Amino acid sequence: MNVPLHTQPDKLTDLPGLAAHVSAGDCVAVGGGLSWREPMAVLRELVRRRVGGLRLIGSAHGIDVDLLCGAGLVAASGESYVGFEQDFGMAPNYRRACESGAVAVEDNCCYTLVQQLRAAIAGLPFMPMRSMRGTGFMDLHPEFKTLRCPYTGEELVLVPALRPDVAILHAQYGDAHGNLRIEGPPVADVLFAKASRRVIATVEQILPTDRLAEMGVSIPYFYVTALAEVPHGAHPTACYPFYAYDRRHTAEYYRLAAQGAEAFREGYLQTYVHDCPTEADYLRAIGGPASLERLASWQESPESWRALYD
Amino acid sequence: MTERPGDCTLGEALIYQIARTIEDGILAFHGFGSPLVQLALHLAKRTHAPNLVLVAGATYGVNPAPPFLTPTSNDWAMNRGAECHLSIDELFDLAAAGRLGRMFLSGLQIDRRGNLNVTRLGRERMSLKLPGGGGGGNLSCDARRITLWTAAHRAPPDQSGRRRFRLVERCDFITSLGHGVPGGAQRGRLGHIGQGPDWLITELGVFDFDENGQARLAALYPDVGLDELRASTGFELVARDDLASIPLPTAEMAACIRALDPLRIHERELRPEDRARRFELEA
Repeated sequence: MNVPLHTQPDKLTDLPGLAAHVSAGDCVAVGGGLSWREPMAVLRELVRRRVGGLRLIGSAHGIDVDLLCGAGLVAASGESYVGFEQDFGMAPNYRRACESGAVAVEDNCCYTLVQQLRAAIAGLPFMPMRSMRGTGFMDLHPEFKTLRCPYTGEELVLVPALRPDVAILHAQYGDAHGNLRIEGPPVADVLFAKASRRVIATVEQILPTDRLAEMGVSIPYFYVTALAEVPHGAHPTACYPFYAYDRRHTAEYYRLAAQGAEAFREGYLQTYVHDCPTEADYLRAIGGPASLERLASWQESPESWRALYD
Repeated sequence: MTERPGDCTLGEALIYQIARTIEDGILAFHGFGSPLVQLALHLAKRTHAPNLVLVAGATYGVNPAPPFLTPTSNDWAMNRGAECHLSIDELFDLAAAGRLGRMFLSGLQIDRRGNLNVTRLGRERMSLKLPGGGGGGNLSCDARRITLWTAAHRAPPDQSGRRRFRLVERCDFITSLGHGVPGGAQRGRLGHIGQGPDWLITELGVFDFDENGQARLAALYPDVGLDELRASTGFELVARDDLASIPLPTAEMAACIRALDPLRIHERELRPEDRARRFELEA
C-alpha cells in the first residue's frame, strides 16, 4: 500500500511546479463542487501542458470536468454528476466526449465514492454498504460485489478502495508547510486529500503557520505534496469570501462549448488558456480589475450580491 | 413572469404540491439543481413543518435562511444563516443509518414503479449522456421516503409525430431505484431501509403509489384533462376512483415563495408555455 507522507518544510511552488505532479493517465480527484472552489487555474495549466488520459473521480462537478473534456484530456469519468444545474443545463463538452466514446463512462454515486475513499483512508481493501442494489450501477461497475453479512445475514455491497494518484484542490488559505484551510463547504476535499497519494493545491493567500493554526487547519500539511499562491485560482467558480461565481464568464464559456468542439477550442481554449501563458494573462483576458472588483462586490449588500446573478 | 394578486403560477402550485409531502420533524435533504424542491423545503419549514431539519444540497448547511435563491446550489448565499453544517460523508451516513426522512428525485425518464434515469438514453448504444444522479442512487435506497417530481411530464408530438415521454414504460438505465424492475429484484426483497417513492408530482398531475408499488393518478391540475394527461404518459394510466383537483396554496404561501426567489430561478425548470399557467389561490 505504502502511501507517502509529505514532510518537506517548504512546499511552495508555482503553477508549472504543481502541474508537474500530474502525469498522463493519472487517476485524478478534482476538489470543490459545481460552481464552488474548483481548482481551475491548475486545470488550465494541465490544458496548456496537454497532460492527457486522465481518469476522473468525484461527486458533483461542472465546468472543471467539462473544460478537461473539451481539451481532450479525459479518458474516463467516474463522476456522479457533471452539469451546469438549472443555470445552463447539460455539460456540452462532457456530453460530446461521452457520446463519442472518447471518455469511458464510469458514473458513480456520491456515497459509494465516499465509502471507496474511506476504504483507502483506512488502509482497507473495501467498505460495505447497503444501498445501490437494484440500480444500474451494479452492472456498470462489475468490481462492486455483494456479500452475505456474517453477523446479520443481510446482503451487503462491497466497494473496493479507491486511491487517486493525485487530488487537485483550491483553498482560501495555506502556509508554506502545506497546511490548508478551507472556509465554507469542504465538499469531498478532505476525503480526497486523505485518500490520495499526492495532493497539489492552489490557495488565495499564503499565511504564516502560526496565523493559519489560529484560524484552524482543514487539511494537515503531511497530506499535501506542493502548493502555490494563485489568487483567483478558482475563477470562474466562486471562492468566498474573496469572490463570487462569475456567471457572465460562465455564460460565455457555455455559449462557445454549446456551439461544438471546434468552436470551443478556437473560441474558448485558444482565447482563455493557450493565449494566456500565465494566470496574470488570464485575469487580464477575463476583464482585469473591473471584473475582479465586480465579483468581490457581493460583500457590499444583498442587492449587489443578487445583481451578480442577473 | 409578474405575479398577480389572487392567483398563483404553475411553479408556485408545483412547489406547494412538493411541500405537502414533507412531514414535520423529519430530516430532509434537497440535493442540488432543483430549485422547486429547495423552495418546497423552505415553504414547508415556514408553514406546516417548523421542526423540519432542512439540509441544503451541495452546501450541507442545516436550516439556512438564504437572502435569495441562486441559480447554482453550492453558493454561500444558499448557506447564509445555517445553524450548523454537515460534511458529505455525514449526510450520507445519516441516510444509511435510516435518519433521512425524505429525499426528492427527478429524472429524464421515470417509470411506473418510480425508477429513474438521469444517466443515459439508449440501452445498447448511448444516444444521450445525461448529467448523472449525484447521490440519488444511494439515497433512493436509504431515504425513508422519496418524493419524485418532474416539470416536463407533458409530451407533445415532435415534427415526426413522435412523443418523447418523460413518464416511460421502462427506463434505459436505473440511476435511482423505485419499487423494483419488472422481471428483476423488487424493493421489498432487497432489504433497503427506504420504503421507496410515495409521491410523483408533475406539472400535469399528482400520483401516489398503490400497494404494488405502481403509480396511480391521485389529483389533476384544474386546467388539465384526464385525456391530455393520458396522452402524455408512456405507461397505461391508472387513476384513483376519488380523483381530485390539486390543492392550491394560500396567498401567504405564494408570498413566501416570491420572497425567497426574487430572481424566479425556479421558473427555469418550467417550459415557457407552462410559465403562463395561473391558478386561483386558496382562500
